[in-house]
Amino acid sequence: MLEIKERSIIIRIDTSKCEACETKACAAACKKFARGYLQIVDGKPSVEHLTPEEVLRLGTECLACEIACKFEGNKALEIEVPIKGLDEYLAKRGLA
Amino acid sequence: MAKFLEYQGKEWLRKAGMPVPKGKVASSPEEAKEVAEWIGGPVAVKGQVQAGGRGKAGIVKLVNTPEEAAAAAAEILSKTVKGLPVRQVLIEEKLDIKKEYYCSFVINNAREARSPMLMFSTEGGMDIESVPEELIFKLNIDPIFGFKTYDAIDFCVKAGIPDDELSKFASFLTKLAKIYKEYDCQTLEINPFVMTGNGDLVCADCKMEIDNSAVGRHPEFGIKIARDLPGEPTELDLIGWSIEETDARGTGFLMNMGYDEVSPGYIGYHPIGGGSAMMGLDALNQVGLKPANYADTSGNPVGSKIYRVAKCVLSQPNIDGYLLGGFMMANQEQWHHANALVKVLWEELPKKPGLPCVLLLCGNKEDESLEILRKGLADLMTPDGPGKRIEIYGKEYVTDTKFIGERLAALAKEYRAEKEAHGK
Repeated sequence: MLEIKERSIIIRIDTSKCEACETKACAAACKKFARGYLQIVDGKPSVEHLTPEEVLRLGTECLACEIACKFEGNKALEIEVPIKGLDEYLAKRGLA
Repeated sequence: MAKFLEYQGKEWLRKAGMPVPKGKVASSPEEAKEVAEWIGGPVAVKGQVQAGGRGKAGIVKLVNTPEEAAAAAAEILSKTVKGLPVRQVLIEEKLDIKKEYYCSFVINNAREARSPMLMFSTEGGMDIESVPEELIFKLNIDPIFGFKTYDAIDFCVKAGIPDDELSKFASFLTKLAKIYKEYDCQTLEINPFVMTGNGDLVCADCKMEIDNSAVGRHPEFGIKIARDLPGEPTELDLIGWSIEETDARGTGFLMNMGYDEVSPGYIGYHPIGGGSAMMGLDALNQVGLKPANYADTSGNPVGSKIYRVAKCVLSQPNIDGYLLGGFMMANQEQWHHANALVKVLWEELPKKPGLPCVLLLCGNKEDESLEILRKGLADLMTPDGPGKRIEIYGKEYVTDTKFIGERLAALAKEYRAEKEAHGK
């Protein structure tokens, strides 16, 4: 599992699914919609060429890699976008 | 703007070294009596609400004893002014007033100024709007060099302050100017500041409003939400503020619009831009629908901010629909909205199957954005899918509030009927 921390989100990629992915749509989306920091190394997405600080600086939180992976790739990528207070709001209303 | 109540503003003035009357805030008649005993002598009892005209509203009273202070507090605390319940009273020493003055520091947005501006009048204690223009003296303050003592003396001479009091007034006004800058105020109005029988200048009232964008620089203020709200913030307001508080990457605004969370006919409202938001309200009003909330994701926000706003809008209970109202040809790249919306709707529509979602997205990268929406939502938009009432529109309908409103109304009617048929 590759975990990438941007400023306010966490990108999790189950890289065991990536070698079989023919499109590598996540990296293409990163290049098209953001700054292209996600690279494909040995058939898998990688940010090893960057320091965590560089990831923070380059990440634009565009969410495009998740959508690309979901519809064009191998459904290996999920992004957690925390929202402060929303869980409590929903729990109070029985919607959690 | 983050607005302080009078007692809060005066406390910050006091901490900055300005003279304010001796006093404390109270929340009950008993507390008011205790404060009046602590002060000793006649006191003023002043209701604390974010509203002008407090004297005319009967929530400012002068009394002579602690018992009278308690009675005045009981009366004032039972009142509502301009829809705002009075929850606190400020008990202050009664001042020996020789003369009342007015001063305020505001932002002058005029093209030739774009700077802070000092307004001053020797006619204080009344609405400044009712003071004749020739008695109001104004001075734009250089934002770099500030308001110097020599500026203040020159200004006070022009305002008719006697020579032997120039130094006192200049010192008072330059201190206020410094506070205005250091506290990042948008407005600092002291009406009145008074000259007492001893010749001292004292801030008898205080209206202090902090620039919303500067609140992050002032944790000492303890402002939990920097928004113009009519009353206490709702949970949704606080969630909305948390999205914006430390993230300036475009706008991701969200606030409650008084929705009671049960009444029918309310729409989760997600406009893009202020003018567009007005058009969206037209669309809703024309068909008898109402916005549950207000929102805005303009100024090229990042996808995560758009996602957060949309997620919260859609999380509101019992809404009859969702409107992404992009009633303008936006310069911002709209594909970030498209990606965020696909993620949100895949998460939320299974919880609210069949919820009407009218998505209007126009402008820069429109074709690509609509393609992302159509492709990403296709599996939800099947005849029996949770997204069966998603409709996607582009520039052909950018100003067609009637059409968008009517589509949403028709879908909402179907949705309500379906919910009622299922006993929900």
